[in-house]
Amino acid sequence: MNFKKVISLFLIMVLTFAILSGCTGTKEQASKGQKVLRVSMALGESEWEVMKNKVFPIFEKENNVKIEAVQIEASDLITKLEAMHKAGKMEIDIITQDNMQLAQLVEKGLVEDLSEYRDMIPENVIKALIPVGEFNGKLYFMPYRPNVEINFYNEKKFNEYGIKPPTNWDELLKVAKTFKEKEGIGRVAIKGTLDGNTTVQLFEFIRQAGGDPLVLNDEGSIKAYTFLKKLWPYLSPDSKKADWNTMNKYLATESVYYGANWPFGVNVIVRDGGKKEIKAHAGFAGPVKKSKVLGGEVIGIPVGSPNKELAVKFMQFLMSKETQELLVTEMGWPSCRTDAYGKVEEWQKPYFEAVKEALKVSQPRPNVTYWDTVDKALNDAFREIVIEGKDVKATLDKYAKAIADAKK
Amino acid sequence: MMSSVKKDRLGKIIDASFFPLLIFFSLIMLIPVYILVKVSISQPVDVLTQHPTFLIRNFTWDHWIKVLTSGKLWPAFRKSFTVATLTAIFAIIIATPASYVISRLPKKVKYVVILGLFFTRMFPNVGIALPIAVKFLKWNLMDTYIGLVLAHLIEQLPFITWILVGTFEVIPVDLEKSAMIDGASRLRALMSIVIPNAAPGIAVATLFVWLNSWNEFTYALYLSLSENTLPLQVYYYVNRGGFFQTATYATILTIPVAVVTYALQRYLKSDYLGGAIK
Repeated sequence: MNFKKVISLFLIMVLTFAILSGCTGTKEQASKGQKVLRVSMALGESEWEVMKNKVFPIFEKENNVKIEAVQIEASDLITKLEAMHKAGKMEIDIITQDNMQLAQLVEKGLVEDLSEYRDMIPENVIKALIPVGEFNGKLYFMPYRPNVEINFYNEKKFNEYGIKPPTNWDELLKVAKTFKEKEGIGRVAIKGTLDGNTTVQLFEFIRQAGGDPLVLNDEGSIKAYTFLKKLWPYLSPDSKKADWNTMNKYLATESVYYGANWPFGVNVIVRDGGKKEIKAHAGFAGPVKKSKVLGGEVIGIPVGSPNKELAVKFMQFLMSKETQELLVTEMGWPSCRTDAYGKVEEWQKPYFEAVKEALKVSQPRPNVTYWDTVDKALNDAFREIVIEGKDVKATLDKYAKAIADAKK
Repeated sequence: MMSSVKKDRLGKIIDASFFPLLIFFSLIMLIPVYILVKVSISQPVDVLTQHPTFLIRNFTWDHWIKVLTSGKLWPAFRKSFTVATLTAIFAIIIATPASYVISRLPKKVKYVVILGLFFTRMFPNVGIALPIAVKFLKWNLMDTYIGLVLAHLIEQLPFITWILVGTFEVIPVDLEKSAMIDGASRLRALMSIVIPNAAPGIAVATLFVWLNSWNEFTYALYLSLSENTLPLQVYYYVNRGGFFQTATYATILTIPVAVVTYALQRYLKSDYLGGAIK
């Protein structure tokens, strides 16, 4: 084939694609007189199927509206909304966003103050979910989907060595030691990527020891960091690279036998990967109590939303008992309401139970304006104490001061 | 005498090690691609294990069927392919005459112009993508092919111009002068003498621009809403944690790269100008 032919072939293909895309259109078309509501969510493929086939049609029919759904990951949503906001062309009507990534949306003025709609929050919504959407006394986000990390374990390997999933710190250390002794390499992992992933785990350890992560040099925090320093030599080397995404891989490929992650891992590891030996439980207790970080998603309306009224209606629809029950039944998501009961699939039940158990002891992270300082302080302290072996008290004093300064 | 013996030994060592080293480095480059393909056509039991096998034991098309029938591949593929090709075409049309002119400028001026071109590349994309995206949004270029092509041209034009300046520089001016002495106009000399001789350089530049646009991520992320490009689609699966679909999409992402590289590689000859001037 000579150069001219190659070029001609390319041009023909490009032209064909361009014409095809021009003719067919890329956006979902609304019928005449129908409004289009653009909704941003971050979902997996099977979750989108449920949304598009079972959840959205109900609202579309009730309100004579066409929902156009767009997939935007939580971390990208902030930059996209910022660009649209600055351009004065908001293209999204309503968002559901990871509750760990809300502060920037509020700080940058990208979301509407929803305080006037506070009454719309149903009576039966889990009360702990409401403060997650509050900043400086104003309500910016509505509760929608609670979530919590569960602790995955490889049942086959645990049985092989005659051990059980740990219920407290002592047992966790014992399990980690056992795997290291038997296999010569650590098989228990914590998320040690020194970012938001590690922060969640540190919050849990500190609170389990009765400490306050915003203080950081209190007795509980000292206990937590001391324990982690002791545990570190017995952990899997994958701990340094384990985050919410890679943890699934480590568990599925059996380089890790025990580690905490968000429940979506169940679909990836068990349903898609066929690793039925990977089970889950609600986690372990510390010297003071059990504690988990309350994650999940909330609903927000971007400033400049072209269809605000409709967005408010959709917000109400997402919080309704019927929708929440549908989400429980079809996706195994725990409900944000205490009165919404769905029927999860048989295979999902043990994992769903673990999530429900963990939710009982979950606490939200505080919404503070100096969050970046807290995040950095916790992770830097982890690196210095746990990985580099520095003195616990002196290091925590240093970072506690950094947080206290930021608080002022 | 001693030094020629040493040279002979060195020559023999180089001759003997050439093919083993070639094979070794080829394997290093090919093995990750093989693993990608392998994961995309293996059953989970082959991959999700402590010691995965190197060869495929349990073959399956399931992941490919899932991806091909999901309805999400073709729009992304079409968008990536169209945008990459249009970017390459526009880049060549704009940069070829510009590079030719720059290459014929006096040395000092040329140096300043090239530095000026690179100045625009000194800022990382993530830093300038937001203001550019804001501007494009104001111009209603969100979710349009032309918006993405223009965004890609921002980063590709200085790059391709720099490559082509180097290409035109090595084509002797005397070649054009000879053509003009024989009666050709300047434009005719450019089209019939310079451009054909610059074909290998233009092919390389096209290839680079096409590949860069095909793989581009940052602008695509800002300027896409309803329809993703292929790299965004891979990113989606990486984020959502599906090992096999990620591998399948990543494999699909590499196929056009291999085809385009193969189609253009025959024009990548280094001795085009051998004996051009007598």
